[in-house]
Amino acid sequence: MSSGGSQQPPPYKPYRHIRTLRAHERAVSCVKFSNDGKLLASASLDKTLILWSSPDFSLIHRLIGHSEGVSDLAWSSDSHYICSASDDRTLRIWDSRAPFDCLKILKGHSDFVFCVNFNPQSNLIVSGSFDETIRIWEVKTGKCVRVFRAHSMPVTSVHFNRDGSLIVSGSHDGSCKIWEASSGTCLKTLIDDKSPAVSFVKFSPNGKFILVATLDSTLKLWNYATGKFLKIYSGHTNRVYCITSTFSVTNGKYIVSGSEDKCVYLWDLQQKTMVQKLEGHTDTVISVTCHPTENKIASAGLDVDRTIRIWLQD
Amino acid sequence: MSDEDVLGWVAGSNGWGKFNNGPMNAPIIDPLQGDFPEVIEEYLQHGLMKCIAFNRRGTLLAAGCTDGSCVIWDFETRGIAKELRDKDCVAAITSVCWSKYGHRILVSAADKSLTLWDVVSGEKITRITLQQTPLLARLHPGSSSSSLCLACPLSSAPMIVDLSTGNTTVLPVTVPEVDNGVVPPSRNKSSDGLPFTPTAACFNKSGDLVYVGNSKGEILIIDHKSIQVHAMVPTSGSAVIKNIVFSRNGQYLLTNSNDRTIRIYENLLPLKDGFTALEDMNKTVDEVAGVEKMKAVGSKCLALFREFQDTITKVHWKAPCFSGDGEWVIGGSASKGEHKIYIWDRAGHLVKILEGPKEALIDLAWHPVHPIIISVSLTGLVYIWAKDHTENWSAFAPDFKELEENEEYVEREDEFDLIPETEKVKESDINEDDEVDIVTVEKDNFSDSDLSQEELCFLPATPCPDVSEQQDKCMGSSSKLMDSNNSGSPLSEEAGQNGQATNHASSPLEEDTGGTRMKRKRKPSEKGLELQAGRVRKPLKPLKSSGRLSKLRSKPVTDLDNGNGIYGDDISD
Repeated sequence: MSSGGSQQPPPYKPYRHIRTLRAHERAVSCVKFSNDGKLLASASLDKTLILWSSPDFSLIHRLIGHSEGVSDLAWSSDSHYICSASDDRTLRIWDSRAPFDCLKILKGHSDFVFCVNFNPQSNLIVSGSFDETIRIWEVKTGKCVRVFRAHSMPVTSVHFNRDGSLIVSGSHDGSCKIWEASSGTCLKTLIDDKSPAVSFVKFSPNGKFILVATLDSTLKLWNYATGKFLKIYSGHTNRVYCITSTFSVTNGKYIVSGSEDKCVYLWDLQQKTMVQKLEGHTDTVISVTCHPTENKIASAGLDVDRTIRIWLQD
Repeated sequence: MSDEDVLGWVAGSNGWGKFNNGPMNAPIIDPLQGDFPEVIEEYLQHGLMKCIAFNRRGTLLAAGCTDGSCVIWDFETRGIAKELRDKDCVAAITSVCWSKYGHRILVSAADKSLTLWDVVSGEKITRITLQQTPLLARLHPGSSSSSLCLACPLSSAPMIVDLSTGNTTVLPVTVPEVDNGVVPPSRNKSSDGLPFTPTAACFNKSGDLVYVGNSKGEILIIDHKSIQVHAMVPTSGSAVIKNIVFSRNGQYLLTNSNDRTIRIYENLLPLKDGFTALEDMNKTVDEVAGVEKMKAVGSKCLALFREFQDTITKVHWKAPCFSGDGEWVIGGSASKGEHKIYIWDRAGHLVKILEGPKEALIDLAWHPVHPIIISVSLTGLVYIWAKDHTENWSAFAPDFKELEENEEYVEREDEFDLIPETEKVKESDINEDDEVDIVTVEKDNFSDSDLSQEELCFLPATPCPDVSEQQDKCMGSSSKLMDSNNSGSPLSEEAGQNGQATNHASSPLEEDTGGTRMKRKRKPSEKGLELQAGRVRKPLKPLKSSGRLSKLRSKPVTDLDNGNGIYGDDISD
């Protein structure tokens, strides 16, 4: 009724656990499906990344090179390249095709690199670091083309909108900032009244909203143009880690997030009701990713767990 | 019709609303930023570039070089995305043109050739040699698969060339003296074989008509299928028309004539099926015939809207064009040894003269979306003019507002109440039950009913593998090639050593020097400031960006020393 006369949504079909991938020797920090859905990449504190085949989840290759743990990874739009962000203060661009070379090392950050993303055109990479800056790198040459002194605390998250014109960044300083990618101009700063640390932020698929996670166990969908919250999702636990969340759009619209209570949470986007809690991990679920076309979720667990779990909706 | 709806201006109105031409999904980008460029932000250097063209969205910039190659710049990263080069194509490029969806590029060259390239593969699709050097070649804008193009040769009439067959169809450049043998024209102008001057021509937006500007200063509207002149519009000066260009939305046409005047016409024909409308008009206008009839029809096709000239310097214009949204018109000064770009608003006011280094300007383009102008200098450099970047400090602190000047603050009634009224309102006006749409994207300005082909906006960026930590090796192969060319030129050697101070001011041509090495520059330095010498003419209306203008005014115009500094720098690094 409240949702304005739209027809009854189909009954929710639960996700079920289908696979557990064990290959990382330390906490898994990030999992991401490639944009073509054929590959899954994982990053770990064990300093490596692993490429998994998406249909059968066999291990394809282990990307070795970073001298410290890896915190984040991103796929280029064509799924040919992976960029990884590491505590060794560098980013690396890897070829996701044999022989899986490390093509570039991006040097410039003066502290841990914590988050990374390609722009949709995949000619630029944006990274955020504990050095409180955001850097933009040219993919072709690996040169840093722009540095923003962005925040007053570590940058926990950076993301391009769908046409690559804007960047959103989130920081432990409690703010989200929107930047014009071409000029590096700060267009807007969004601060919650209570300003808890922002642990994760990303644009909605159409780029109109941002999904913001804060360390008071809250996820908010924010209209950044008006500065208003549209939806608040809660029930999970998130007070310590930069847990990623995402939009599930392949079968109905859901918000998916990890949680410090070792579960994966799914909320109905519109109703904000929690529709499922996926149990199985034995430590904090730090990262989740949705397959681009299939109703599949991958989730990653921290040090006690060290696994990637695959969940399927029949 | 979205293009027209969004981008059109209403003729005759004086004040006008600004349209937000910012990128989609960017409602927070200040719509008022849609002004005009002010300073040189950066320049591109690769070989000797002669002519330029943006793709439809302005994501890629193609530049034709004197060595016959065509460089495609990724305009986002300002790096080279592709180089179109072929052993057959070694003559200087005279024009470049993108196909509608950006998959192909047509270049015309001084060796009389037209070459069609496939952008993604970087391969030549076809190459045709004409009888005459084409000064300009334009692909048919309508259907993406069309193999027709319009070529304007050096000294013959414009022609339609079928690139797949090589067939050429010469278009008429004068009004036929006898129209269907019915009525002779009222007055015979000198029809005898005058020496040919290049004739300007362009397609209209849908490509069903060709607009020709001839040496008598007439605009002819021609159906290129039947090769028939349907209408004629005489210009007031009757001077040779050098350029004829449509605005992107097809609603305005400009001509550049030898009488040093840029004329803006409003296109009165519908943007779709203009030809049909023209035919209908031809049927209804029957009280006159022959040339008079064409004039009568012509007056219903184009209406003179503005005339631009510099009455003081009487300068000739070079490469005039519209801004992406048609709000502005720019023209370069054709005087040698100066790099001046005049910007007029559509109300007819000259709002700014951008002044670059003392190098002749040879081509101009306005970015389809952003307030960015690209100018090509005779030295082969490409300058990027953009707005002077200013930090919007209030963006950093959401509760703060930037003030132009001091204001006396009047506190709100409840400002220091413990529970202010206004905040309660803020809390309650969030309706969390409203449905949100996270997927749908609004159609942008470029949306088109014809979605038969996907648009090519970006070329895949391939990371060049690091070689022994030396990132510059990336360009190794091409720059090596360049260097060897370069050393062969005595000019460059001289300039590289000691020729700087004397060379610079006298002749821009001699400055070729470092030009063949690939390089690009970022904004930061004084260099940019030095290059920039945007001088402001008294604006005829108040400008929004007055603060910035005053800053510019205090900047002296580039002088000799600055120029030397620039080039010295180039060589040394």
